[in-house]
Amino acid sequence: MLNRLAGSLQIDLLVNLTLRDLRSKYKRSALGWTWSVLNPLVAVVVYSAVFSVFLRIQPTTGDPSGLRSYAVFLLVTLLPWQFHVTSLTEATRSITANGPLITKIWFPRWVLPTSAVLARFLTLLVEMAVLLLLIAVLEGHFAFTWIPVVLMLMALQLLFTVGLALMVSAANVYFRDVQHFLGVALAPWMFLTPILYPLNMVPADREFLGIGYRTLYQLNPMVSWAEAYRNALYDLRFPSAERWLAIVVATVVVLTVGFRIFRRLEPRMAEEV
Amino acid sequence: MISSSSDVAVSLDGLGKKFRLTHDRNWTLKATMLAGHRTRYEEFWALRDLSLEVEHGQTFGIIGGNGSGKSTLLKVLAGILRPDEGAATVDGRLSALLELGAGFHPELTGRENVYLNGAILGFTAREIRRRFDDIVGFAELDRFIDEPVRNYSSGMYVRLGFSVAIHVEPEVLLVDEVLAVGDLTFQKRCLDRFAQLKAEGRTIIVVSHDLDMVGWLCDRTAWIQQGALQAVGPSSKVIDRFAIGADPTATTVDAGDEGRPAFERLSPDDLVKSVALIDPNGHPTDAVGSGRKISIRVRYDGQAAGEPVTVALGLYRADGTHVASINSGATTRGIARSDRAPDGEAAGELVEVDYVVSALPVQPGTYELSVALHDASMRRVLERHTHILRFEVSPTGIDPQNGLVALGGTWEAR
Repeated sequence: MLNRLAGSLQIDLLVNLTLRDLRSKYKRSALGWTWSVLNPLVAVVVYSAVFSVFLRIQPTTGDPSGLRSYAVFLLVTLLPWQFHVTSLTEATRSITANGPLITKIWFPRWVLPTSAVLARFLTLLVEMAVLLLLIAVLEGHFAFTWIPVVLMLMALQLLFTVGLALMVSAANVYFRDVQHFLGVALAPWMFLTPILYPLNMVPADREFLGIGYRTLYQLNPMVSWAEAYRNALYDLRFPSAERWLAIVVATVVVLTVGFRIFRRLEPRMAEEV
Repeated sequence: MISSSSDVAVSLDGLGKKFRLTHDRNWTLKATMLAGHRTRYEEFWALRDLSLEVEHGQTFGIIGGNGSGKSTLLKVLAGILRPDEGAATVDGRLSALLELGAGFHPELTGRENVYLNGAILGFTAREIRRRFDDIVGFAELDRFIDEPVRNYSSGMYVRLGFSVAIHVEPEVLLVDEVLAVGDLTFQKRCLDRFAQLKAEGRTIIVVSHDLDMVGWLCDRTAWIQQGALQAVGPSSKVIDRFAIGADPTATTVDAGDEGRPAFERLSPDDLVKSVALIDPNGHPTDAVGSGRKISIRVRYDGQAAGEPVTVALGLYRADGTHVASINSGATTRGIARSDRAPDGEAAGELVEVDYVVSALPVQPGTYELSVALHDASMRRVLERHTHILRFEVSPTGIDPQNGLVALGGTWEAR
């Protein structure tokens, strides 16, 4: 029973393809895995300078933690966001880049985008662990008891991202525009998610077509994740039930639709790739 | 060893696969939007109405010219392409050798790639670990297994790819022309391995241009042309038919004078007047038993030749394999001269020579004969007729045999 489940989930294949991505990523580079730490480090320095020092954006005060640190405020959402961006970017090309494999060997194609996301997810796990240690040492901010909540959020985000990855990778086989479109769309998406600024800076008293700005703004599912991560790691409190509901609904919908779309587009991939 | 409820390992039922030949594919979303989903394309049936069955334990060959649909068929069987019509069903674990090392990542080591490729082929990590030494040993890469495969030679790359795929222990193995790679020693080991898989009762489907190999390896063969089944049956028969059908001269096949198919008709101006097979009783025939006595009779106009000639015969198998060439050397040099009677009157312008074979040492099949007349010194060709005669060599004896020559031996119990 367990064996059959492992078989249908393609555990061995997923593990091997994920390892392939991880192993080959920094081959023949001098700094190797240091790059994956340098990347968020540089981002947090630059964003802190621009948004905290130049533009003077004030982070909210952690409630109940009482913490007031823009760097921590930023990092707890920036790392999950960077996972979102890099997984989607890499997953989009995962099928087209493996054209020779697709046309020569049959295996369940969904493992390609999924393993691309998984490889990035393992990186995120390491980054989050480093982050928790850093804020404990540097800020005296202990968020360790909230690890189970964060893991739950991360697991749901993983499924959500896999759903999106299935959509974009399959669509990209038929229209190479998808990869370019994604490059264009991800930047505004980041600015429409409360990563660099707190959610309360989005005006609640203005309306567009009778709907409040902040309500519209929160249609973006990534808002819920950003807020929930920040609740757990910055404020040190349990995210509200509405956040959880939004997150679970977004995950289920995107994953289901993603699989449906993938199934539809899968049969002719070998011809179109 | 291989247990299955049915005897049929692979079955094709009215299989059809079409491709779209697009003239201007809308690769971008914008173009599709503007064209309103109307990409112009032509439909092209790579396979159509194909039905056949391959039984468990059979080794099955698929032959055909380039673009005949052979590889498409294998891809459909492998599940890579989905049929547009009919169905293809495969019973049992399948492994396809369509391209060796297709899943290799150049930056990873041989070891890492073995696990990766094995997983792609449907192996669990434990299964690969168990066979790892065998895989590496077969590929003869023990020393290099921890090197990145980008440093491998193409031969090493292919050997490792083959080795992984062959150790998957498939019940049905699909092979597409992969034996054309590797050096002779490796090719031989691959063939040995196929023979072993065959002996273990596994089903093997081979696509190849190498008719000799198909004939040697496969029990049955299908000939596909332009996506349609031309013939299916015992390998030697189908290969013979294919070799004849694929021969451009065969389009002009017509019945010879004695109702025998002759490719090439002799014109009255030719020096050679007739070529015939003569059985031991002195009668013309178009078939002979393997290992039996037969004569090849050539009649030519010695007068018109005007000089002593050397007669040369070439024997070919229907697929073009050269079996033997013989020329009369010294024997016929004097014939034309001696036929000129001393009185000067050419009583016998027509020279008749027999090449007598006491026991024809070739395997059953279809053969072709070519005839050439040379000058006595063999420096000039006076006339050449390729494929002048086609004849059948029929099986004799009770024990099955195969290959090129009939050894003519006997089994003796001791």
